[in-house]
Amino acid sequence: MRAALQRLLALVRRDRLDRELDDEMAAHLELAERDARAAGLSAEEARLAARRSFGGLDQIREAHRDARSARSLEHFWRDVRYGARAIRRTPAVCAGIVLILAVAIGANTTMFSATQAILLRPLQYGEAGRLVVVMHGGRHPVSLANFDDWRRQSRAFSSMGAAEYWRVNIGLADGAERLLGLRVSPDMLPMLRVPPLLGRLLDSGTSAAADEREVVISHGLWQRQFGGAPAAVGQSIQLDGEPYTIVGVMPPSFVFAPFWAVGAELWAPLPRAGVTASRGGNSLRVFARLAPGVALTQAQADIDAVTSRLEAEFPGTNRNVVVVPLKERVVGDTRLAVVVLMGGVGFVLLIACANVAHMLLARAATRRREVAVRLALGATRLQIVRQFLVESLLLAGLGAAGGVGLAALGVRALVALAPPDLPRIADIRLDPTVLVFTTAVSLAAGLAFGLVPALQSVQPAPGEDLKAGRGGSADRRQSRLRDLLMASEIALSLVLLAGAGLMVRSMASLQTIDPGFDPRGLLALSVSVHGTPHAEPSRRAPFFIALADRLAALPDVASVSAINHLPVTGDLWTRSFAVAGRPPARPGEGLSAVYRVVLPGYFTTMGMPLARGRDFTWRDTAGSPGAVVISENLARRHWPGEDPLGKRIVVGQSAADPDARWLTITGIAPNAVSDTWEGGGGSEVYLPYLQTTDYLTGSASRHTYLTFVVRGGGGDMRALAAPARAAVVSLERGASVSDVTTMEEAVGRALARPRFQLTLLSVFAGIALMLAAAGVYGVMSYAVARRRREIGLRLALGAPREQVRRMVLVQSLKRVALGMLVGLAGAAGLTRLMSNLLYGVGPGDPATFAAVTALLAAVALMASWMPAWRASRIDPMAALREE
Amino acid sequence: MSKQKSDLPYGALDLFILRTLDTMGPLHGYNIARRIEQAAGGTMRLSQGAIYPALIRLEQQGWVRAAWGVSETNRKVKIYELTRAGARQLRVEIANWEQSTALVARFLGARS
Repeated sequence: MRAALQRLLALVRRDRLDRELDDEMAAHLELAERDARAAGLSAEEARLAARRSFGGLDQIREAHRDARSARSLEHFWRDVRYGARAIRRTPAVCAGIVLILAVAIGANTTMFSATQAILLRPLQYGEAGRLVVVMHGGRHPVSLANFDDWRRQSRAFSSMGAAEYWRVNIGLADGAERLLGLRVSPDMLPMLRVPPLLGRLLDSGTSAAADEREVVISHGLWQRQFGGAPAAVGQSIQLDGEPYTIVGVMPPSFVFAPFWAVGAELWAPLPRAGVTASRGGNSLRVFARLAPGVALTQAQADIDAVTSRLEAEFPGTNRNVVVVPLKERVVGDTRLAVVVLMGGVGFVLLIACANVAHMLLARAATRRREVAVRLALGATRLQIVRQFLVESLLLAGLGAAGGVGLAALGVRALVALAPPDLPRIADIRLDPTVLVFTTAVSLAAGLAFGLVPALQSVQPAPGEDLKAGRGGSADRRQSRLRDLLMASEIALSLVLLAGAGLMVRSMASLQTIDPGFDPRGLLALSVSVHGTPHAEPSRRAPFFIALADRLAALPDVASVSAINHLPVTGDLWTRSFAVAGRPPARPGEGLSAVYRVVLPGYFTTMGMPLARGRDFTWRDTAGSPGAVVISENLARRHWPGEDPLGKRIVVGQSAADPDARWLTITGIAPNAVSDTWEGGGGSEVYLPYLQTTDYLTGSASRHTYLTFVVRGGGGDMRALAAPARAAVVSLERGASVSDVTTMEEAVGRALARPRFQLTLLSVFAGIALMLAAAGVYGVMSYAVARRRREIGLRLALGAPREQVRRMVLVQSLKRVALGMLVGLAGAAGLTRLMSNLLYGVGPGDPATFAAVTALLAAVALMASWMPAWRASRIDPMAALREE
Repeated sequence: MSKQKSDLPYGALDLFILRTLDTMGPLHGYNIARRIEQAAGGTMRLSQGAIYPALIRLEQQGWVRAAWGVSETNRKVKIYELTRAGARQLRVEIANWEQSTALVARFLGARS
């Protein structure tokens, strides 16, 4: 294969060079002929004379070929062949080296493919670098009225679009399926500059008409529901009970939005009918494309001007609006973790290089005689260094080949392990860029670990090495170098271990967080009746009450309730509120609280017993006095040192409104985590479902569903999923069930990211620890082997074996201690970079550092034990008789 | 190898070529050969074609560089030019030759 390739290459080049030579010779002969004619010869004579003085054409061609071919390529292949032979001579050592390299390069390639997919590769939109998001604080949603004003008044953007989360029931032949979609403004999809695979995008010209019923679907949905038939375009589908026309299908790679609602499969026009000019209900994510030539800072200045005008007009509605590059919004939260992990895996490679360098040093030492002979026979030092480097590069190449193989598995494992909300996780693959990276890294590694032994090998004078088999003058220098390699391996491993140790501590703190409810034995499922007859206000509440009864009647169910948005997994809405008897808030400083709407029994079912007061009952209905339960946080913040029970508040309405419905605080609930696991609990208000008009009569899909929570009697909660679904369908065939999960799974998902980071960093630290152990073992074994005679002499002179063992161990631990000192200093500095990844533990946590140092010391001690023991078992007579 | 080459001391042809390019500036192959023949004044047997293997060797060593040009007869030919490295090499080789010829001269002088 290799030979064939080489021959082919030579053939191609050879043809060209031969042709050039022929051209030159023909021109030469023509000139010679012309001069001969000018000297008075006949045409025939001139031709012959020119030929004669030129010499034999074929001989010249042959000489030309010889002259140009005996060049560097030939030398290179000779080195390669020689190197391959040298590698085959020490198969065990070289197999070890290749294995170490394959693991390190494989880990680096895997991690780089993730870095490449998540951080480096541009988003899959046309000119994605010009796309930005414009949101409150760069991440909080925007109201429709503000979006309209920004779009009309700003100058810095060539277009601006908005998208709204859309949970939608799709009507199918066999019941309903609940899908994730987005409602988008007319400019939204065209702005992304991704042409549809089939059909067209939403018709931006006419969608000002509010009742546009068009939808663009994803490639996945098209495959799943329509078998990929082109005729799907133009068909009608039932969405939330309304007919929509499919106008386009997006290509398979299309993902929108990239940082939230990532799994959206439907894009339909944002409804505008009946939308008030309210700036309070923030539900839109606003995207924009920078106009040509406009920089990010200019765009921000433009938006600042627009929003400060609006803020003056509508106080409290337009503060802190930030323009953030879309890419930054997508990967911003992930960047630090990726960079830290990439750094960690880079350390693994460095440790591997140190290991391999040592193995090659030891191997080079045994070949010193060979080098001396070759030097004596006239090889130049450069030739020998090149020979050693070619060998190292060969080893690196083999390691890289193995590494790519391992990375193919690694990437698959990575994608399988990764939390589903990791941005762009599906893009992780071994692409050409990754392979270029691997090649570059392997070359660099090959040079790094190859150069040291290569230069060492030509250091001593040849005469000395020809005479002495071992123990030349280069010994001391060499052993210092080995000590250095060992110490640096220890130092690098310690840094990695410290990082992993901090992640373990952080994970432990995360797991001890009290969510405020008891996640064990809880099943959650969201039930929507949107688009079914049971969505009718008169039938909706009876349906949910009947469903609660059905679920409670299932075997092994202790209690059942329901809520609009479940903590951790659900959405998070906030509402303004006001307290009776207190002065009205100034504009923009209104009070707000997380808005929860529940069925009776919610607190019991969730395992969050009320601190005081009472739970809601089935008698808290529209006809009875308004009741509200507040969280402890809210109670403490607004009634410090007072008893809030019996106090009255109004939620979502103005206190000045004569029709305001005043609610009496009837209970105080424990704080439950609001949305993010580590975010803790917020100020929350719980309202009884049967008193909440929006939910009882509102026709929007967000008001026609509830999330049921079912507490079991201790069995496997997943087993309840199927009977629970059946209970829903038995009441309403068209109702959709989604997000069926146990709360323990939901908590697990909330911790998926830190766990993923922990897993990766632990794997890297584990590899580092093993490599460091192998390094210590290798260096110490080698040191003992070289001191065999000296140790034999000591034993012969009566040194106890115990003392010899201790001597080797002390020698080893001195170097380990040196490495640890450097490592601790490095860890103290480097772990500070990851402090944003940590929870409940500081970057330089002494307990963690002590623990990992002890672990590393124990491992190093174990790795030195074997060589030390072997040193103590040296037979003095045999050792002294050698040579 | 061509037997005519044995009539020249090893390395002399390279020296001639470098020297020719040094004094004459860029030339094509035929003119280089003619110039060497003229300088030798008929005292040397050289196949003109022998300069081509020498030229490719010098080119690969980076001492001359070639560019395509057009001959007086309107044919495509390579025009050769001395590089900086080539100029340096020429000085080294001249020094070497002077040393060698001086040595040979002294040796022959001592014998007679």
